[in-house]
Amino acid sequence: MIEMVGTFLRRIYSSFATNVLDVPPRLLAFLLFLVLLFLPTARLEERILRIVTIACIYAIFAASWDLLVGRTGQVSLGHALFFGIGAYLSAFLSKFYGLPIWATIPLSMLFCALVAVLLGFPCLRVKGPYLTLVTLAFPLILSVVLFSLEPPFGGEYGISLSRAQSLLPLNAVYQQRVAEYYLILFLLFVSAITLYKIANSKTGIVFISILDDESASKASGINITKYKLLAWAISAFFASLAGTLYAHYILTTPPTTVLGLTTSFYPVIMTILGGIGTIYGPIAGAFTLWSLMEIFRFTEELRALIYISIIIIFILKWPKGIAKFVVEKLDELTEKRELHEGEKKK
Amino acid sequence: MIAVVAIVIAVALVLTLWYYLSPVEPATAIEKIKNLAILGAISGAVYALLALGFTLIYGVADVVNMAHGAFYMLGAYAFSVFLTNLGYNSITNPSSFLLFTALILAALSISLVGVLIYRLLIHPLMGDTLSVMVVTIGATLVLQQVILWRFHDVSMPVPKLLEGYTSLLGVKVFYHDLLKFALSLGLIAILWIFIERSKIGGAMRAAAQDREVAMLMGINTGRLYMLTMAISASLAAIAGILLNPPAASPQLREWTYPLVMSFAIVILGGLGSIKGSLVGAFIIGYVEYSVRIFFPGMSFLQVAAALIVMVLVLIFRPKGIFGKRVEAE
Repeated sequence: MIEMVGTFLRRIYSSFATNVLDVPPRLLAFLLFLVLLFLPTARLEERILRIVTIACIYAIFAASWDLLVGRTGQVSLGHALFFGIGAYLSAFLSKFYGLPIWATIPLSMLFCALVAVLLGFPCLRVKGPYLTLVTLAFPLILSVVLFSLEPPFGGEYGISLSRAQSLLPLNAVYQQRVAEYYLILFLLFVSAITLYKIANSKTGIVFISILDDESASKASGINITKYKLLAWAISAFFASLAGTLYAHYILTTPPTTVLGLTTSFYPVIMTILGGIGTIYGPIAGAFTLWSLMEIFRFTEELRALIYISIIIIFILKWPKGIAKFVVEKLDELTEKRELHEGEKKK
Repeated sequence: MIAVVAIVIAVALVLTLWYYLSPVEPATAIEKIKNLAILGAISGAVYALLALGFTLIYGVADVVNMAHGAFYMLGAYAFSVFLTNLGYNSITNPSSFLLFTALILAALSISLVGVLIYRLLIHPLMGDTLSVMVVTIGATLVLQQVILWRFHDVSMPVPKLLEGYTSLLGVKVFYHDLLKFALSLGLIAILWIFIERSKIGGAMRAAAQDREVAMLMGINTGRLYMLTMAISASLAAIAGILLNPPAASPQLREWTYPLVMSFAIVILGGLGSIKGSLVGAFIIGYVEYSVRIFFPGMSFLQVAAALIVMVLVLIFRPKGIFGKRVEAE
């Protein structure tokens, strides 16, 4: 019995070693994940912990955007729509119907996937920059509508939740923050792995074929509409996860934030910063953006000015994205090392 | 043709809706329709000026310039800065010479900003639409921060370009508004003639049709795009000066509204089509004013109404009213 467990563990370790430890980019990602895992043990201020948690939420959001845009090439500038619907619906259900969070979050995610498919039908007629600019309109329209519906949706301030409706209601505030941090980190890990698997599966390859040449993939017998709608649905599903987490973490849903232009722009900036079409890129981008925001907090007046300028410089310097650049460098290094070792053996 | 039908249907729809929601006497109704006809036309003309720059740089250089709203915002600020430096104070009435000097200086300085943004940010990333979008969003945020940092506690009144008012069809119309209308249409006409008749305009049209062939014909596309950017930025700046409510200090963070409006107009009319953005601008102008005049209690819906009209048009014509039809790829 013990022997069996032992071999099982050894097998897991060896597959982990070949799949993660021997691949430098994955090793780096694993190390960064370890840093995130042990971050709360450093007894951080609550504020910092809160910022890292929100960065995790936006990382999920940006990764979901990347699956849609980086893989199928349908540029959406209105992803705040799914973020916002997720946040509003989940808050609405738990406030007015008293449903527990583990029911409201999946319900909102499924609803958002449905919304994406329904909106997808008319939107797929529209292509290229037209699609980009028309998607921008949806969250703005919805935010105005919700803004005006004061009684159920709280108007300007959104739906405000009580502390009992937060993600993990505990008595001690700091412990609650730590517990929520681990929950959100876990969800980020799960969604990142899922999105990465989807992006590299057979379906993901079909997505890329649509990005590369739509007519050619159509000619190869691929049902383009089906796959495009599928990409929208998956992307909306995870984007709304980020929205629901945001609502239950912040405990309000201000329409100008969850449906605002900035929320639509964030995943675009993060993805381009990290590297498009990679899934890990937007996550790296989200953490880079948030750490840059925090580093320059000492100069409140010029903070935004400085970090936005730095991001622009990053994009000009590494147009492919930071994460992609790092991964390519690491791959180059391993190739060189392997060549070197090969020569030695001769 | 479809545009005309769509406009007629939209107008009929709004009028019937309005009639059933708030029945009024015919005299007031006619009054309101007259108001709509005049005010909608004025705002449509300024919107056309705003959207033309956006469609021009897209049509010629394939750049979706998210900094267009920033040019609008900066235009209004530059105008008041030049006014104060030229010796304007709000007690004495400024001479029209002073006002127009400030207007021209503001437009020129903003076109310089446009050229700088093109040279430093857009040119190195040319061809990568998404990166260009992100850096222009970044540029907008930087410019907004500069404005916030520099002017957050300064109130800068923007005077009317002309005082007084007249009566047109029984509607009170300010000279300022008439000037807005005339100036916008005049500038659009000049631009139209420039693009259709001049040699540089010809080069622009050539680059819009086929960039590579234009380069082979000896057109310096880099310089051409820079010029287009300068024109586009100065048009946005002038629209910003004209559209700003007179005697109010230019508001902070107002780049989103003009940006969204230019999107709606340009998409409605067809990206890259000058005729299209003219028609689109008037449609959006009329839609906004019909919400404002017929449903005064719901005027916060005016942007949403404009966007809904845009979405509806796009569902039936995916490339806008005057856009190129979907080609068989």
